[in-house]
Amino acid sequence: MSAPLIDDLDRQLIGILSNDARVSNRKIAADLGVTEGTVRGRIKRLQQDRLIAFTAITSFGLENSTKMAFIGVLAEVEKVREIAQQIASLTSVNGVMITMGRFNILAICLFNELDALHTVASEQILAIPGVHHVETSIAVKTVKYNARVVRITEADHIIETDD
Amino acid sequence: MADEFIADDIDRAIVEQLRYNGRATNQQIADRLDLTAATVSARIRRMEDENKLRVVAVSDFSAHGYNVLMEVAIEVDGRAASEVAKELAEFPEVFAAHLVTGRYDIDMLVALHDFDELTDLMLNKFSKVRGIRSMSPAIAVDVVKYKFDVAPIEARGAA
Repeated sequence: MSAPLIDDLDRQLIGILSNDARVSNRKIAADLGVTEGTVRGRIKRLQQDRLIAFTAITSFGLENSTKMAFIGVLAEVEKVREIAQQIASLTSVNGVMITMGRFNILAICLFNELDALHTVASEQILAIPGVHHVETSIAVKTVKYNARVVRITEADHIIETDD
Repeated sequence: MADEFIADDIDRAIVEQLRYNGRATNQQIADRLDLTAATVSARIRRMEDENKLRVVAVSDFSAHGYNVLMEVAIEVDGRAASEVAKELAEFPEVFAAHLVTGRYDIDMLVALHDFDELTDLMLNKFSKVRGIRSMSPAIAVDVVKYKFDVAPIEARGAA
C-alpha cells in the first residue's frame, strides 16, 4: 500500500482545479495565499506523478443520449492482462478492470445506439481470442457518479508548458 | 427548455482540444483551429453556462488513497431498486451506483482506502439498508482504464 503522496496544499489545488481547470495560476495563488511559482510547480509535479490530468467532460446531452453498459467478460486467466489491454484500446470502452469475482474483466462502455453496444460486446470483445463469455447489463438510471476520479494513464500524461 | 443547445462542429473541435489539454489557453486553441481567442472563450463559456461542458482536473484513484476498488452487483427484494440505490449512494465509500438491466438490479463501485474498511461497511452500513437480497462483488486487482469524458453534469455551485 502506497503512502499518501500529496499534502493539504495539493488537495486544495485539486479541489479548485477539479471544479474549473481554467482558473489562472495567479487567481489560485491569491486564493490560497501562496506564490504563482508554487502553484505552477505543484501542478507540474502532480501532472508528472500522474495524479492529475486536465480534460473536458461533456454532459450526456451534448453527445446525443449517451448510455452506459457494464460488460462482464470471462477470459482465459493466463491471458487476462493482454485481453484487458485489447479491450481498453476500444474507443467506446471507458473503463476496464481486471477483477476477481463473477468474471475476470469488467468493461464499462458508453454507447448511443443498442447496435453499437452489440458491436462492442458481441463482435469486438467476444472475438478476442481467449474470451469465452460476455454478459452485458445496461444502466437505465445513474444514481451516483464521479467523473473526476479516474485512472491516469500514459496517454493522459500531458505536462503543462511554461508560457 | 425551449432552445435546446445544439453543439456545432466548432464547439466539438474546441472540446476535442480541451479533452487533450484542459489548460490550453484560448489563444493556443484559437491558433490550432484558426479561430480568434474571443470566439474560443465565448464558445467555452456558452457550453459551460448551458451545463454541457466542464473543463476540469481529474485525479487518479491513488491521489485519493483509494487502494481497493470493487464492483458490487446487487439483487433487490421487496423494495424499489431506486430507493435502495439512493440509500446506498449516500455512503461515501459508494463511488458510483446505477440501476441496471439483467440478472442484478443495482451495479455499484465501491472505493476504499484499505481492506479493513470493508468490515464496517458491510456490518454497520450496508447491512442496515433494507431490500438487499444479495451482493455479489468483483474485486479489481488492476484498473487498466477508467476515464469518462462524458458524464452527467451538475449545475455549478451545486457540486
